[in-house]
Amino acid sequence: MSRKIILWVSVAVLCAYIAIALCAPLLTPYSPTEITGAALQSPGAGHPLGTNDLGQDIFSQLVYGARITLLFGFCSALLAVLISTSVGIVIGYYGGLLDEIVSRAIDIFMPIPMFPLLIVLTAFFSPGVLQISLLMGILGSIYGIRIIRAQVLSIAQTNFVEGARAIGASDFHIMSRHILPNVMPVVMMKFVSSSQRMLVMGVGLSFIGLWDTTTVDWGTMIQNSYTSGGMALGLWWWLLPPGIAVIGISLALALIGYSFEEKFNPRVGVNRI
Amino acid sequence: MISGNYLAKRLCYSGAAFFVSVTITFFLLHLMPGDYITNYLLSLTNALPKETVMQFYHQFGLDLPLTEQYLLYISNILQGHWGYSYAYSVPVFSLIVEKLSWSLVLLIPATILGILIGTVLGARSGWKSGGKKDLALFNIMIAIRAIPEFWWAIMAVMVFAFYLKWFPLGGYTSISILTSGISIPDVLYHAVLPIALMTFFIATGNYYVMRNSMISVIGEEYITTARAKGLDERGILWNHALKNALLPMITITTFQFAAIIMGNVFIETVFSWPGIGLLTTEALRMRDLPLLEGIFLLDTFLSIAAMLVADVLSSLIDPRIRMGKDV
Repeated sequence: MSRKIILWVSVAVLCAYIAIALCAPLLTPYSPTEITGAALQSPGAGHPLGTNDLGQDIFSQLVYGARITLLFGFCSALLAVLISTSVGIVIGYYGGLLDEIVSRAIDIFMPIPMFPLLIVLTAFFSPGVLQISLLMGILGSIYGIRIIRAQVLSIAQTNFVEGARAIGASDFHIMSRHILPNVMPVVMMKFVSSSQRMLVMGVGLSFIGLWDTTTVDWGTMIQNSYTSGGMALGLWWWLLPPGIAVIGISLALALIGYSFEEKFNPRVGVNRI
Repeated sequence: MISGNYLAKRLCYSGAAFFVSVTITFFLLHLMPGDYITNYLLSLTNALPKETVMQFYHQFGLDLPLTEQYLLYISNILQGHWGYSYAYSVPVFSLIVEKLSWSLVLLIPATILGILIGTVLGARSGWKSGGKKDLALFNIMIAIRAIPEFWWAIMAVMVFAFYLKWFPLGGYTSISILTSGISIPDVLYHAVLPIALMTFFIATGNYYVMRNSMISVIGEEYITTARAKGLDERGILWNHALKNALLPMITITTFQFAAIIMGNVFIETVFSWPGIGLLTTEALRMRDLPLLEGIFLLDTFLSIAAMLVADVLSSLIDPRIRMGKDV
């Protein structure tokens, strides 16, 4: 029962974040990069969370920052899941030479650490936030292909797939109507857990300076405040809000992910002695 | 037992992975806007005579055909000549090796402690899974993992170093190094907080693996048999369940050692600890491509080695793992 409550609260939190990101211009009159007044003002009328060292409104940065942070997390996760699902289904279903080639390629790419590769590629291309998230989606899809493929291999052996083939259904029909719905729980689980990981990763990467500092997201906000000594000056309203914002969404996604996992993955299920 | 055939296959894949990584770094260096030498000399001085520049080109072999350069590059990588950093103007390899030893000062104690704590907690939690204590611990672990590492690090610096003043704010030594040289107690004093945080993270990661592994071992028939024989629960836990549940930990542990080189980027950055992590952040801020590529190659090499070690170890320990079929 309490598990269910936790799940629904998490979903509500997630929806609230998405709503805030979508309605950013309605919530605040300032643009996140606009200089709105004196620097380092305390919270008060006009500036609910005060201003930063450049005189930008912190509340506006927080609200607009949600857009970039969420976009990064969801875009990367969506791309990763799309690639791993489609490739996994196709190679798992057809098998043969195609499966052999892709599986061997994955074996070769598996030990290559993705995080430093991402950093090298970013240093080389100096891409924008969206490109980095696409890059991360591609790099992050490799492991998922294996998981989906393994699922498809067992589904392809079942009677209903045999039956569909016997009545002359096309391969595309079988893959999209019979196999896809059966791997969907795993796909959803992967999507939620990778959005959480990618989102936190995105904030971390912007914290260490992966993209230029003019992009306003929670990572750069934390980095600015931390390196300019916001906390040492006692300006908690500068450092804490972006951090708490990250923790909120990350916790909500993590809890949704675990609820899914408990429901669909019997191995993680709790067994009583 | 591990078959020679399997080992040979594994070595081939590892070789291929390293080869792919080296090829990526080679092409990125060559596709870079402006070439390697121009960028490198830029960091030294802007106004060099043309002859000197040409001499550098010749010295670095950049006047050779691309295929020859490629072969030269691979042989250089294998011999430890990893190019020169733009920002530091020193050989990448020696820089990385120096920083790596500083990272290991944090990594070795944190990994050992983290594995011990994570394994013990995970085993207890998995053994009594579904109990009140297990669920409480499990939920706490989810919450800990959901909060980003750098946020924990920032909060730890703020609370323990800035407000309580128990530990230094960062760095690896006090200013006294200028007069009295480097002292080990002083370095340890600076290392306590980052080590504690890293231990914390490694332990939560291991907790999950150990808990899941324990839960699946409990379902095995030999545990039921042991119970049917009337052995006491403690004996079953230590002699039957734990030994088998520890198996996945070998893979995880070797992997962690490789992955954590990058994993502690955040902790080293927040604590200004002069290891590979901080080096990565600095190289990234300065867009120092040769240095970043060196770090990437090092990490690839460590990951590949870890995978090999994990495979061989787990097949040596558990003869049921029959390798050679599934790869």
